[in-house]
Amino acid sequence: MSAPALTPNAAATAPVLQLRGVRKRFGGIVALAGVDFSLQPGEIHALCGENGAGKSTLIKILGGVHPTGSFDGEYLAFGQPARLQSVRDATQLGIAVIYQELVLCEGLTVAQNLFLGREPTHGPLGLFVDHARMRSEARELLGRFGLQNELDIDQPISTLGVGQKQLVEIVRALHQQSRVLILDEPTAALSTREITTLLALLRGLQARGVALVYISHKLDEVFALADRITVLRDGRSVMSAPAHETDAASVIRHMVGRTLTELYPARPLTQASTETPLLQVQSLSLAADKKSPLRLRDISFQLHAGEVLGIFGLMGAGRSELLLHLLGAWGERRQGQVLLGAQPLPWPLTPQEAIRRGLVLVSEERRRYGLLMDSSVGENLSLSSLSSLTRPWLPLLNEELEQARNTAISHKLRIKASGLQQPVRGLSGGNQQKVVLGKALLCQPQVVLLDEPTRGVDVGAKREIYEHISQLSAAGLGVILVSSELPELLGLSDRVLVLGGGQARGLFTREQAQPEVLLAAALSQKPAAAGAPTVTQEVR
Amino acid sequence: MTSRLAFQDRTSLAMLALLAVLLLLGTVFSIAAPQFLSARNLSMLLIEFSMTSVLALGMLLLILPGHIDLSAGSGVGLTGGITAVLIMHHQVPAPLAMLVALAVALLVWRGMGHIIVSQSIPAFIITLGGLLTCKGVFWLIIQNTTVPVSPGGAPNLLAILTTYYLPPRPSYVLAGLTILVLALLRWRSYQQQKLRGPVDKELQLLSFLVPAQVIALVVLCCGQFRGLPLPSLILLVVALFVHVLLTHTRFGRALYAIGSNEEAAFLSGIPVGKTVVAAYTLMGALVAVTGFMQTAYAGASTTTVGDLMELDAVAACVIGGASLRGGRGSALGVLLGSLVMACLLSGMSLLAVPPEARFIARGVVLALSAWLDVRLSKLS
Repeated sequence: MSAPALTPNAAATAPVLQLRGVRKRFGGIVALAGVDFSLQPGEIHALCGENGAGKSTLIKILGGVHPTGSFDGEYLAFGQPARLQSVRDATQLGIAVIYQELVLCEGLTVAQNLFLGREPTHGPLGLFVDHARMRSEARELLGRFGLQNELDIDQPISTLGVGQKQLVEIVRALHQQSRVLILDEPTAALSTREITTLLALLRGLQARGVALVYISHKLDEVFALADRITVLRDGRSVMSAPAHETDAASVIRHMVGRTLTELYPARPLTQASTETPLLQVQSLSLAADKKSPLRLRDISFQLHAGEVLGIFGLMGAGRSELLLHLLGAWGERRQGQVLLGAQPLPWPLTPQEAIRRGLVLVSEERRRYGLLMDSSVGENLSLSSLSSLTRPWLPLLNEELEQARNTAISHKLRIKASGLQQPVRGLSGGNQQKVVLGKALLCQPQVVLLDEPTRGVDVGAKREIYEHISQLSAAGLGVILVSSELPELLGLSDRVLVLGGGQARGLFTREQAQPEVLLAAALSQKPAAAGAPTVTQEVR
Repeated sequence: MTSRLAFQDRTSLAMLALLAVLLLLGTVFSIAAPQFLSARNLSMLLIEFSMTSVLALGMLLLILPGHIDLSAGSGVGLTGGITAVLIMHHQVPAPLAMLVALAVALLVWRGMGHIIVSQSIPAFIITLGGLLTCKGVFWLIIQNTTVPVSPGGAPNLLAILTTYYLPPRPSYVLAGLTILVLALLRWRSYQQQKLRGPVDKELQLLSFLVPAQVIALVVLCCGQFRGLPLPSLILLVVALFVHVLLTHTRFGRALYAIGSNEEAAFLSGIPVGKTVVAAYTLMGALVAVTGFMQTAYAGASTTTVGDLMELDAVAACVIGGASLRGGRGSALGVLLGSLVMACLLSGMSLLAVPPEARFIARGVVLALSAWLDVRLSKLS
């Protein structure tokens, strides 16, 4: 498939890529509900939106991950209908996408990665890799992008920093005549210095006539770089304007501009009582392991009985890590302590011990962290509470009690399954999530940690889950709710803690917690936070 | 058809298919070598089957959480060797010698489990190291000689393991009792399943009748020779123990959960590390038991005792429906798988198939069963 030749005139006027009324569903979930998007030649086009607004789906359509026919609407590439069957088709058209998860071979060198799958060869039948030519071409390639000082072609990928890996990925993508480069949050994990290098590279590409689509949560970067900004919300493009005609406040307003619906059960505000809080987190500083830099710095909060504490933050803010750490399943504690009631929770801690003491987690990504997909509903429900099913005089499970208990909880949560024997794989997303919730509730917890409890769940089941959360707090349990969906967080929480750049960016009461306030807090780039990754760079 | 049948019934169907394979094997061998069906040969087959099964049941405890033990065969040789050397060269009473060997096996297997869990090294590598180390230590201990299991052939606890037979009359009584218990258990499980939803009655009846008939047949057959060999009684105890462990205890649930999704199991409060180490320790015990029987059966500890038994055990598990990725498998399935392996081995030695062809046949069966495992997991 050869790309159509562009006449200079056409190039000046016609968009390079264009989407018209694109709709995409995953099962019952609408990811894109009629998006219009157009990318002009040589422009840097920023794409903004909350988590789950549809940005990733959109670039996957642009990049051929979701092939033609799997979505409705029009996709024009270089003025012609794009019929992409695969990522390969997109690459051949000159559309390169850099996703958040980098796909480099860690054990190979920079040069080997740049030429992966298209190594220059010599000898009979092109049997042998021409290492000398590969290295000289790699060096030339880096030179062309002005990166010869940033990267060494013989260095193994595993020894590079995230920022350097990102550069390798970009050079590899641009290696063949790419005319469009799409980047999904390229700066999320980079230090200030690395960001500077990257942004310079992107501007250089723009000067060569490459059109860029740039997804970022960092609004200052967006305004520094982009010619045009499009905001997605709930699978629609709600704003598209030249960068100089708009401002950060307007972008934030468009990102959150949703009205709270009737989905959320009315809850009386829990008054912070004078009693001992259920859970106290005191200046926790956490790292992934002994060698890693700090991931979370000096986090403190209290959770009272009957309270729902929301935690808000953008992708990568460390929310899940915090919850996993409270359960004893993640990280290395550098500082601080956690009190459950008046008792300090021991550290190191195992999930088994945390659950025994009344702390339970409903983890995100239920397929990966929550469920035994091929096991039955019943086995999944009992998994965390097997200790209470053991008979006192024999180490055998009391299966009558198990059956009765599981039947009761599945009625209470209205889990729709053909029976407790049905493997959970066959259930809908909402019902799977209810099984995870049921498993947690059977432990009779005091504190329930919920990590994105309604992701990939249809509206009906969402509403039911909200009701259950409300009932939990009414029953005097403490609930910590991590959610990327602002309306959900605002509809359920008594207070909201905002995390950003590894730090607490403020604790807001229900009245204070307006969507714009929270988002602004999460997006703000305090000097201390921006500087933190630089320190790690030096440590390395 | 699968849509009509519940998940459990589908596994029962797979069991029935295995029985069909067994019948086929039996028919082929008995036509090719009529003495295959003689009471004496069937009695030998039962002994060999029991030894394979005990080891395979241990292997199942490791395959369920997604692990494997390649050192089992070497361990069988080693424990038998330690016992024989203690008895013959150090005049230690047989029961004490066996206790010492058991203790060594428990320690070594616990140690391997601990290394695998705490250093998160693949089980494959550590137990491969265990295979070589155990074999070396084994040969060192028996000095590459043949060490008989008892001085002058006098009966001791080790020697009688494969020479003692429960006489026909008590055997019949025991078989009757076993069938009765089986019927009761089946009836209870039928009642419980009926509460949960519609059950295929015929399949339920069949899944009781088939094992009951097999037991009756085996006992009647053995009654024609000398009665029930002791290893079959050991197997009965081990199989019951493993079955109850897997289906009715927290430990069993934990093994299945770890094999299905280790991360989810850990976050759900399952003590993943402890459970896996415990499974290795249990494997050590079963390796020792198999070692005693296998060495007694050979009459002496020689360098080849236990050779490649780990592969027969893995094959038995996989043929019996266990998934090498973990999370799937049952004690009954492993028994059937072991029976297939034991029939194959015994039939081939009866037909005087040359050893090279026997290796090839075992290899093909192992590969075929692994292929079947992948096919089956894709179906469900």
